[in-house]
Amino acid sequence: MFELRAIEKRFDAVVALNGAHLQVEPGEIRALLGSNGSGKSTMIKVLAGLVNPNKGQVLIDGNPVTIQNGQDSRKLGIATAFQDLSLIPTMSVRDNILLGNEPRNKLGMVDKKAADELIDSLLKRFKIDCDPNAYVQTLMPSVQTMLEVAKAVSLKPRLLLLDEVTASLHYDEIEVLFSVMRELKEEGVAMLYVTHRMNEVFQICDTTTIMRSGETVTEGKMSDFTLDDIVYYMTGQRPETDAKGAGEHVEKADGEVLLDVQGMTVFPKVRNLSMRAYKGEIVGIGGLQGQGQSEFIRALLGAETVEDGTIIYDGKEAKFKSPAAAVVNGMGFISGERNREAMFPLRTIEENIIAGKVAKGNLFAFMTNKSNHAFANDAVEKYSIKIGELGHPANSLSGGNQQKLVVARWIAMQPKLLLLDDPTKGVDIHSRQEIHRILRKCADEGMTVIISSSESEELLAVSDRIYVFYEGAVSAVLSGANKTPEALVAAMMGMTE
Amino acid sequence: MKNPSLTAKLTFGQRIGVFVKKSPARMAFIIAVFLYLVTIAINPAAFNASAIGSIIMLTLLLSFASAGQTIVLIGGGMDFGVGAVMSSAAILTTTIMNAQDGHFFQLLITALAMGALVGLLNGICSVKIGLPPMIVTMAIANVVTRMQYVLTEGSPMGYAGPQFIKSVTSRLFGVQFLPSIILYAFIIIPLVYFLLNRSRFGKQVYLVGNNPVAAKLSGINVAKVQVLTYVFSGLFAAFAGMLGAAYMNAARCQIFDNYAYESLIAVIIGGTLLSGGVGTYTGSIAGSLVMVVLSNMLTVIGLTQPQRNLFMGVILILLLILYNREKNVRQ
Amino acid sequence: MTKIKSTLQRFRRSPAFAGFILFVVAFILNAALQGPSAFFTVRTFNTLFAKNVPFILVTIGQALLLMSGTMDISCGVQVALVNVVVIMSGQRMGLPFLVCCLLGIVAAMLASVVCWVCCSIFRLPALLASYALTFAIKGINVMIMDVPQGKVEKVFYKAYDSQIFGFIPVSALALVLVLLIWLYVKRTKFGSHIYAVGANPRNAFAAGISPSGVQLKAFLLKGLFTGIAGVCITLMIASGNPLQAEDYGIRSLSACILGGLGFGGWGSVACGVFGAGFYVLIQNSVYYFFSLLVKLIPGFAVSSYWQNFVTDIIIFLGLLMTIVTAKGQREALKQGIVRQFKREPYKAEAKEGNGGEGK
Repeated sequence: MFELRAIEKRFDAVVALNGAHLQVEPGEIRALLGSNGSGKSTMIKVLAGLVNPNKGQVLIDGNPVTIQNGQDSRKLGIATAFQDLSLIPTMSVRDNILLGNEPRNKLGMVDKKAADELIDSLLKRFKIDCDPNAYVQTLMPSVQTMLEVAKAVSLKPRLLLLDEVTASLHYDEIEVLFSVMRELKEEGVAMLYVTHRMNEVFQICDTTTIMRSGETVTEGKMSDFTLDDIVYYMTGQRPETDAKGAGEHVEKADGEVLLDVQGMTVFPKVRNLSMRAYKGEIVGIGGLQGQGQSEFIRALLGAETVEDGTIIYDGKEAKFKSPAAAVVNGMGFISGERNREAMFPLRTIEENIIAGKVAKGNLFAFMTNKSNHAFANDAVEKYSIKIGELGHPANSLSGGNQQKLVVARWIAMQPKLLLLDDPTKGVDIHSRQEIHRILRKCADEGMTVIISSSESEELLAVSDRIYVFYEGAVSAVLSGANKTPEALVAAMMGMTE
Repeated sequence: MKNPSLTAKLTFGQRIGVFVKKSPARMAFIIAVFLYLVTIAINPAAFNASAIGSIIMLTLLLSFASAGQTIVLIGGGMDFGVGAVMSSAAILTTTIMNAQDGHFFQLLITALAMGALVGLLNGICSVKIGLPPMIVTMAIANVVTRMQYVLTEGSPMGYAGPQFIKSVTSRLFGVQFLPSIILYAFIIIPLVYFLLNRSRFGKQVYLVGNNPVAAKLSGINVAKVQVLTYVFSGLFAAFAGMLGAAYMNAARCQIFDNYAYESLIAVIIGGTLLSGGVGTYTGSIAGSLVMVVLSNMLTVIGLTQPQRNLFMGVILILLLILYNREKNVRQ
Repeated sequence: MTKIKSTLQRFRRSPAFAGFILFVVAFILNAALQGPSAFFTVRTFNTLFAKNVPFILVTIGQALLLMSGTMDISCGVQVALVNVVVIMSGQRMGLPFLVCCLLGIVAAMLASVVCWVCCSIFRLPALLASYALTFAIKGINVMIMDVPQGKVEKVFYKAYDSQIFGFIPVSALALVLVLLIWLYVKRTKFGSHIYAVGANPRNAFAAGISPSGVQLKAFLLKGLFTGIAGVCITLMIASGNPLQAEDYGIRSLSACILGGLGFGGWGSVACGVFGAGFYVLIQNSVYYFFSLLVKLIPGFAVSSYWQNFVTDIIIFLGLLMTIVTAKGQREALKQGIVRQFKREPYKAEAKEGNGGEGK
């Protein structure tokens, strides 16, 4: 039996886990549920040896153990398939699966024959059709995910951790995965299954542990829960109360069209996609992860190449060659991948705010400190965004404040069209509400906002209309009375009548 | 400062670490002064106005060469062409001037055009084509160096113009420790300061160096900015090469090639990150001072050439350890 | 047949392919310019190997370091270090030559470990740390031997310059030895760990691999190879010179890049071998090109500076070439994705077709 007791973990000021607990029995598939930022992934990482908890105990069969690194975790019989994949893209399928677990012969060399047999049987078991010598980077994301799982299973673990592995898988692949999971269950392997897809949970899991803001809220047998119960424990609200907010927004569908996209194709994620956005409207883009949302938004911005289709923006045909051209024409872009795509962590808060202003205009124009300072101050004050001293480096801020910083950067530019790609990923609830408030205010002033989010509650709360993406195309457009959580979830699964 | 109880707990070593991290430029100045004091302690004769004057002269020369390197490094690149461009500019100077003063503007334009051209090539190859900057700037520097030999048959002719030499090496107001190269510093330093701190270009360079992906998505033309950093590097190196020729009077092939590495190390010691995004020109000037004082020390205290090399290597490694900022995998 | 075909296919997609093409071009160029009858002789090959094996060995060592995500530009002066240690330990202490060689190899491995300490333990940027080490080692070299001097017994340097069975150059054996060592090491788990550490130390760490441990092994191997290179150069010049081979450090780096190695986790030792081969053969070709010009055009005379100039231009163009081939590889990559992607939506039909197509 594996048990985590009273685990606490702080990342600087942010509390990720606050006395959470969890236990799994051999032969049990336990669903670990919770909304983003509830601490599920951190729990997994504690077991995998990637996060060192500040407090709490890990017990195996009642004995306390310490997990310092990946090696320790493996030795204790724990294997992990990570959400962000731990594969090395420039290595072959074979080497990736064997990494750190190579069968060796007498001469100390890797036993090729044993390795080949291992790989062959593994690929067969997971019905993966690929050359073991192919580089992992040449494979489809879904195949890579299957490999990630196969790699974990090949370690013959006693406890298997699956962290949101189905996010990018297709139906048939999920079937294969489930049949393997059932086999492992027969063999007495304990499994922790993290996912956002609720129908899977009822299909495969025996028990569940539900987390909210770093704490374990409830646990029990799957059969004792209904979908509504789970949503209640995850969010703290009954689903009905959520739907109420939806009616508030005014339909602007008869206003002036700002953006009209027809038949857009972006290789390989977006296929023949059409949508429209009006002035002063907040358009939501929903869907499971990786259904082409971020590629679509980046294509509008000119960061991805549009292969086919037309984009009419502000009355003109517009296929921007670079984000620079899009920004000059009044677009703004806020990414949820803060560290990679939005923040300048080593620069000051002020420099981060004026980044949008810096990007536009004559390269050798004189910029006084005074005007920069005034600009940053204005941006902060106008929308009462509270973020520390302007002179401090941006990496001194917490995640929520960093995101507000990026929002402030673009709001201050007063763009005509503001694009947001999952902007509240890993942002605390308070900052999230503040960002929503700011967006609403901007829309009321005539800015058009396109926001993509993987969270249903957020979309329902903030947007006027929702386009739901499924496999690179729009599976439903929800507005007015149609805009219900049920319709949204159904459309996200690709279930359209 | 805000939390005295916290700072008090730090060990001496940690406090030095914090200081180096917070103000590398000041730290570099302190190291330079310390090294100079050591020099004087070992050989008191080293303390005289003309020695200080020549230290200032060489420091300014290196800091002019480092100006471009600073901009390139902050923007996330690396330029090993500085040395070759300087040498070529020096050869152009002696060849075009030929011990006369008449051709200064012709020289200025030719040298700067050469520098800008090499810089542009460096920029296009490393940014647009995407070759590793270190390797490709070295390859281009090699070609430029070979060109010096081909065009001059291995022995460059002529001398720098006497007035031009005077404008670099004479002493201001007859004071020994004020070489007139300081006058050029009044042009170069404010220019670099404007470029890095007061122009839109400078702001973009910092952002691009810190996070090119975010910079691109924010609407900055990343490639253009990065190519421009190399062009500036070429320009500054060419100008430094002209002044260097005046300082040395005559030129030979590869005369300033070691400035490629020296400028790089001076800039790093001055607190600019090798990975880009952070750095100041003040720091680079301080770093240049450290490099010049260090080599002055090794010469003055009477070491043999191999001993000097050994000490140079060891001290450089110690300095780098002081500035060690690559993160550990285990966090 | 199909097996050979698929191996060829795989080779075409491998990182070494770019370097291989460059190498073949240089080889043909050299043969053509020198004249095939003069080129394909035991003597020519003997000279080629005897002169260039040290450089190729150093490049192989450098390739290992690049693959594990670090580098060492002081390996040139390390070769000179081996040379002076071998000569002086024989001259001062009267040790037998083979013991001196061992001492030299140990010296190179020690220098490599020092570099490892700087790069992996102190986590200094490898470029700057090894540049600083260049100074230090150069100083030590001259301290051990102030001016070029010493000699090697005739038996040894004659042996180095001779051929086995009348056609295999002895110098080539050093290369074969190193490649055999690598072939063994490559088949141990180190062979794949080195890529993991070079490409992504964090993921490697998560898989239970110690990045600094792997880099230590890479540095030790590189030290061994550099040591052998130093012994070869000693046999080649049959005396000692503290100031030689310094440019091997930088040249081996660009040879690796020419051969298709990337910084960290991409490429193979073959890249280093092909890159170094290209480097060597191009220099040779340019020499013969100019002597051909002299023969063909009466009164044609240029300085040797022109040769160096042309060589460096070709090397620069070779660097640009690697991008063309890399683009081709990226294109193939993309097509691979298209193929998989196209298969997805039409699963039902594709399933029957799959069996025949896949295998």
